[in-house]
Amino acid sequence: MSHVNATTFTIVVVLFLLVTGVGFAAARWRRAANMRHLDEWGLGGRGFGTFITWFLLGGDLYTAYTFIAVPALVFGSGSIGFYAVAYTIVVFPIVLIFLPRLWSVSRVHGYITPADFIRGRYGSRGLALASAFTGILALMPYIALQLVGIQAVLSVMGVGTSSSNTFVKDLPLFIAFLVLAIFTYVSGLRAPALIAFVKDTLIYVFVLVAVFYIPTRLGGWGHIFHVTQTHFATVSPVTKQPLGTFLPTAKNVGATRFDFASLALGSAVALFLYPHAITGTLAAKHRSAVKRNMIYLPLYSVLLALIALFGYMAIADPVTAANVKKAGNAQLAVPYLFQHMFPSWFTGIAFAGIIIGALVPAAIMAIAAANLFTRNIFVEFFKQDASPALQTRMSQWASLVVKLGALLFAVELPHTFSINLQLLGGVWILQLGPMLIGGLFTRWFHRWALLAGWFTGMIYGTLCAYNVHNPTTSHWAASSDIVFGHSIYIGLSAVILNLVVAVVLTLLLKAAHVPEGTDETLPHQYTADPDSPAPVPAGVAASVE
Amino acid sequence: MSQPTTRSTRRSAVAAHPMISAAIAVLVVADIFFALYTPIYSRITPKLGDFPFFYWYLLIFMPLTSLVLWIVMQLQKRLTPPAGDEGSLR
Repeated sequence: MSHVNATTFTIVVVLFLLVTGVGFAAARWRRAANMRHLDEWGLGGRGFGTFITWFLLGGDLYTAYTFIAVPALVFGSGSIGFYAVAYTIVVFPIVLIFLPRLWSVSRVHGYITPADFIRGRYGSRGLALASAFTGILALMPYIALQLVGIQAVLSVMGVGTSSSNTFVKDLPLFIAFLVLAIFTYVSGLRAPALIAFVKDTLIYVFVLVAVFYIPTRLGGWGHIFHVTQTHFATVSPVTKQPLGTFLPTAKNVGATRFDFASLALGSAVALFLYPHAITGTLAAKHRSAVKRNMIYLPLYSVLLALIALFGYMAIADPVTAANVKKAGNAQLAVPYLFQHMFPSWFTGIAFAGIIIGALVPAAIMAIAAANLFTRNIFVEFFKQDASPALQTRMSQWASLVVKLGALLFAVELPHTFSINLQLLGGVWILQLGPMLIGGLFTRWFHRWALLAGWFTGMIYGTLCAYNVHNPTTSHWAASSDIVFGHSIYIGLSAVILNLVVAVVLTLLLKAAHVPEGTDETLPHQYTADPDSPAPVPAGVAASVE
Repeated sequence: MSQPTTRSTRRSAVAAHPMISAAIAVLVVADIFFALYTPIYSRITPKLGDFPFFYWYLLIFMPLTSLVLWIVMQLQKRLTPPAGDEGSLR
């Protein structure tokens, strides 16, 4: 416990306690007559309007890990990190095309998870299981990375780094996580929805202050950009290549323009295939609340762009750059920058913002994973007649298990492993594109063709990601690979392969007249906007057969 | 669950308003294209204040996206049949 700043520490603890209180109070917020229903615990009663949905989705998608990792990438490699900015621009026009349709059909049929929709659309338990499995697999490392984000802040604060005993060393993390786990168990989706208000207020405040204040300390934006441009042009003695790129280049050195664009496009399509993003969406009360949020959510993207620029500020500030170099961890760039630039009380607010910013998405992700497990594995394969109350209880317990798993991930495994897995998570989740986005528009694809395409994409994507290497790393070196002479995001090339397999096999299976399964949805249900509450989930159990 | 019979839906709405549908498609595609086609903005000049072109282009693009999507939504409202029709489906 060397040099813990008392002011910073106190403010973080006070804000954390405040949020804990909010998390438990959320159980009584917008209370329904019958709380023992998965719609209540798992989707907050499906009653959130535009305003709450904005906070919920904002808190859900722009995670603390993003706030740590994006500036870290910018700090380490330069302009390629800004793919995240392009990505959060294109995500909204893309999502506007298919997300309202998913909301409508899910509302009409009472679907709680994306796999519920797959089940209803294709009448295939196998395909639903594949999508549920992919969702849970992609979410686990994502939750773990939220903890890694908390750890980055805690280690810069000087909290808990002195002991060699894992348990003692990470005790603050354990406490934070225990609190998170319990209030999620008690309050369900209501907790992160309410906490998101606190989180976003803190984050908007510290980001806006930082963006206007820090440049005045560092000699202005002109100086910051000048220093970074010179820095990235320097040739590294290890790789014999420039340290990074100030602008995406046309040449195949470092991060190219094609990398940049394919990474942005792939990530944008992937974002709303993630179960936690869909959970946040399905909790909306009206179709228009979903659509309006595509207009208001880009406000968070502005925030993300500003946060990305913190990476450049960290380069331009010699003290921060030296600290990060000494720690050998680019993820500490933002925490170190704040600590050096701000008075300790304001650092406390910023750090609390990041920590709370990790709790919100972690809670939603755990709920999403738990719902997938309950609806598409437990009910589907083990107890088809499970009552809504039993499903709720199952989900509550599953959320605890999921979080415990993520905690082990974060504490026991090297962080690079979690980061690689999260990268892979993006590749994996993209493989749901053909069945989910495709399924929202057409029933042309054959269920088995989609299954085969999914399988091919998963295997190809995983192997490709594993084999990428550079002079300093033997495996998992990057998320891009060379295909036909172009460096392209692996997720994108894998999903294209996935699509090709699905199309070819669909043609073959149709020619062979293989049964296509029952579709329980009707065309007009994809544009419906029912006012009344959703019907009792047309269970996976009750519908087909 | 009782299912109403299928009735003419979105597809016919799109067919009934080809110009509006085309405008929506153009806006959405343009929004995606200009954000992803890096050759047009991967450059230093012209600068805005101290910001190189690459950086201020991306920053300005976000409020622009909001505006474009707002227009798209207004257009979509004209596309769909009156609200009462949709709401009475169940």
